Amino acid sequence: MDKRRTAAAFFLLAAALLILLALNLNLGSIRLSPGEVWRVLTGHSTDLSAAGIVRTIRLPRLIAAAVLGGALAVSGFLLQTFFGNPIAGPFVLGISSGAKLMVALSMILSLSGGFLLSSAGMILSAFLGAMASMGLILLISGRAKSMAVLVICGIMIGYICSAVTDFAVTFADDSNIVNLHNWSRGSFSGMSWESVRVLVPVTAVCLILTFLLSKPMGAYQLGEVYARNMGVDLRRFRVELILLSSLLSACVTAFAGPISFVGVAVPHLMRRLFRSRQPLKMIPACFLGGAAFCLLCDLLARTVFAPSELSISTVTAVFGAPVVIWVMLSRRKERV
Amino acid sequence: MDERLKANRLTVGYGRRAVVSGADLTLRPGEICLLIGPNGSGKSTLLRTIAGQLAPLAGTVLLLGKDMREMPAGDAAKALSYLPTDRPSADLMTCREIVATGRYPYTGRMGVLSDADWDVVDRALREVQAEELGDERFDAVSDGQRQRVLLARALCQEPEVLVLDEPTSFLDIRYKLELVETLKRLAREQDLAIVMSLHELDLIRRCGDQVVCLKDGAVDRIGTRESCGDPAYLERLYGLPAGSLEEGSRPELRHYVRSEGKRLRCGFTTGTCAALAASGAAKRLLLGFWPETVSLTTPKGLRVEVPLEEKEAGDKCARCGVRKDAGDDVDCTAGALILAQVELSEGAGIQICGGEGVGRVTRPGLDQKVGEAAINSVPRRMIREAVEEICRAADYVGGLRVTVSVPEGEKLAEKTFNPELGIVGGISILGTSGIVEPMSRQALVDTICLELRQRFAEGNDKLILTPGNYGMDYIRAEKLCELGVPAVKCSNFIGEALDEAVSLGYRQVLLVGHIGKLVKLAGGIMNTHSRQADCRRELMTAHAALCGGSPTLCRDLMGCATTDACLELLREGGLMEPVMKSLAEAIGKTLTRRAGENCRIGAILFSGGNVRVCMTREAEELMKDWTDGRK
Repeated sequence: MDKRRTAAAFFLLAAALLILLALNLNLGSIRLSPGEVWRVLTGHSTDLSAAGIVRTIRLPRLIAAAVLGGALAVSGFLLQTFFGNPIAGPFVLGISSGAKLMVALSMILSLSGGFLLSSAGMILSAFLGAMASMGLILLISGRAKSMAVLVICGIMIGYICSAVTDFAVTFADDSNIVNLHNWSRGSFSGMSWESVRVLVPVTAVCLILTFLLSKPMGAYQLGEVYARNMGVDLRRFRVELILLSSLLSACVTAFAGPISFVGVAVPHLMRRLFRSRQPLKMIPACFLGGAAFCLLCDLLARTVFAPSELSISTVTAVFGAPVVIWVMLSRRKERV
Repeated sequence: MDERLKANRLTVGYGRRAVVSGADLTLRPGEICLLIGPNGSGKSTLLRTIAGQLAPLAGTVLLLGKDMREMPAGDAAKALSYLPTDRPSADLMTCREIVATGRYPYTGRMGVLSDADWDVVDRALREVQAEELGDERFDAVSDGQRQRVLLARALCQEPEVLVLDEPTSFLDIRYKLELVETLKRLAREQDLAIVMSLHELDLIRRCGDQVVCLKDGAVDRIGTRESCGDPAYLERLYGLPAGSLEEGSRPELRHYVRSEGKRLRCGFTTGTCAALAASGAAKRLLLGFWPETVSLTTPKGLRVEVPLEEKEAGDKCARCGVRKDAGDDVDCTAGALILAQVELSEGAGIQICGGEGVGRVTRPGLDQKVGEAAINSVPRRMIREAVEEICRAADYVGGLRVTVSVPEGEKLAEKTFNPELGIVGGISILGTSGIVEPMSRQALVDTICLELRQRFAEGNDKLILTPGNYGMDYIRAEKLCELGVPAVKCSNFIGEALDEAVSLGYRQVLLVGHIGKLVKLAGGIMNTHSRQADCRRELMTAHAALCGGSPTLCRDLMGCATTDACLELLREGGLMEPVMKSLAEAIGKTLTRRAGENCRIGAILFSGGNVRVCMTREAEELMKDWTDGRK
């Protein structure tokens, strides 16, 4: 029963992911037929513009959306595990915003200094920002045990960071404002192969390390006392968990800007789908689910009002925010 | 390894604040150590430190002989598991999954359980009788079930030391007792060393090989459950006013009688023991569980609650025992184990038989017929009522056979009068009130003297003395109480009562009693307790012989179990009248000799059924005077 459900759920996720991948290749401001896309992918296309669209625009964007979406969902799952709080997530806790602020500041500084920030530099500054926000949140969580207080503080941190970012953007060079502004609202547009080549390995390494943490994570889910009694080295585990979740969300923010609600909503949907919270199942499930979720949202962002594009957070909020409300309400009786 | 866990001069606390200082503790395999003390005395903190959750401020914890702080976390987890008061957060997890988390120290890098691991999980669930909960959501089960599942989780860790922090909190009394029983079984069968804190003082006496009492930041006492479970000590430990724990905190009967300024504790009879044991065995047989204690209301109206011993059960029968508590009364059956076996039987109703160590009646004239087990009618009624109550609770309408036995009975019986009474093979199961009221000799005499003084002070110089309730019944039946003469019970202390009456200045005394008691006076025996002397048959036989009784009759008389049986033989032999006359003369002489010249004293003897059989001459005159005086 249990195994059948798990298998069916994974099959469902994989199928959804494949369909969304195909749709993302075909649809857009220029609609391409599946046959045309297939010919481009197999290298038999004669239509140069189609090949260009698929190869240089849609393919990297689609890979980035899938991988970063997955990373975001896993990061959310890690944070929820860490805080024992089902509505924790990188965006809700202000970690994405902290990363955004640092990236924005670094970009402005580097551009005014006359050089372009590399992908690694972007990730590094995002990571620093994420860690700064995380530190603040940890300080708060030491004092406030209530999940509602924690989340409200996270959202406040997010607002402060956004305000500072907006402030910095206002004083940035004209030439970069459009670009920066677009990015700071969150978007997968303009994703290049160069970015993909950096973000895929970084995410992959983080995911593998996360997956290796699934055993202590399962123990930690019961509570600290239980985990310690089972022989989990709590200090080390906590550090690893925080580093990994911050790195994953920093990676996302560095390339696509802050993306809201994916980190909260996807793990919750996956828990419901799998009726389990075992890290061994949830980590791959969150990755697949997050990938599918972001592909869907990106597809909608690109196509609904084509040729103009919506910010990705606008779309994810439409789907994600109701999930958060749902979680809050269904949890109400237990704690908060 | 004979020491599983050892704490040396352990100081525990948070930050710099020590909660408990200098605690020593040694825990051996199969041992249960209880931690008690008032709230805030540091029980949990000490347990957390022992469990490795908190670093000690000073001192060491040795787990299996090794310093716990230097042990790798995984090794410690295999040796010790801890059941904290915190509930685990367990969304979406089934009980079986929760239990499975206990395999953590044994699984590989990814924490995947092998089939062997799952076997351990299922075994642990069985161990705590929670197999049926396996697929239930952990959040959906009751507190009692939850605690069992958590215990299974702790067991799943296959520890050698189990540390439990208030495992019985939030459980109702049944789950508390079940949990304690389970822990005792685990300690015994798996050689587990268990240390746990408890708040329920009544549980202390049920388990715990050693009890560690914490108070004011230090170990106040380490001792056995007896020494630490003493109410007076517990009152001090918890800062309670003296006497608060006396009533009801222990199962032993807490009913006292006062004498000589001392409090003497009452006990209960063998009959009560048999009924309690039968009740326990019937519960196991018909309701399917061993109650931790059984209780019943004795005919006297006092409730007795006792633990069960030597519990054994099969498909169609169950057996358990209750130890006789004679209170402060010295009695050869004190501490004897009375067993009752209850089994399903073909016929309807409840059949009561005597087994090993319970005497059998071989002579007529006793409470039970010849050939029956020496279980008197009141205990039989108590057993029947106790078992019927269980039958009703279990909706059981079939028949039951209750067999009462006393393992030591045959040997104990040698110290009783049973051999003389013609009860062979063991002791009697008896008791009419169900309660043994201890009375010291002096106390009894004092009580009697006090009453005599009171009556005299009221202006009486006439008196009726009687040994006990039978005499009182007779006095009422014969309307002697309407003569305006006070009647005082003197128990077996006839001589003492008489002496006191005479020295007080009573002028006329009438002694009224059953022949079984007062016939002894014919032989000059002035204390009629059977422990002092018997001689009833001898006296009857001697006087029968004097009156011309045949040797055969004399032999038969000597063989009688009771005086009533003797009387029956005399009546048949036509010697009733002369023998009674002869006895009356002897009794009259004894009494007059004792009382002296200043006091007229007579005696009236009656037999079963309140029939007057014998009356001294003085008694006849007294009765005449009193009746005339009344008119």
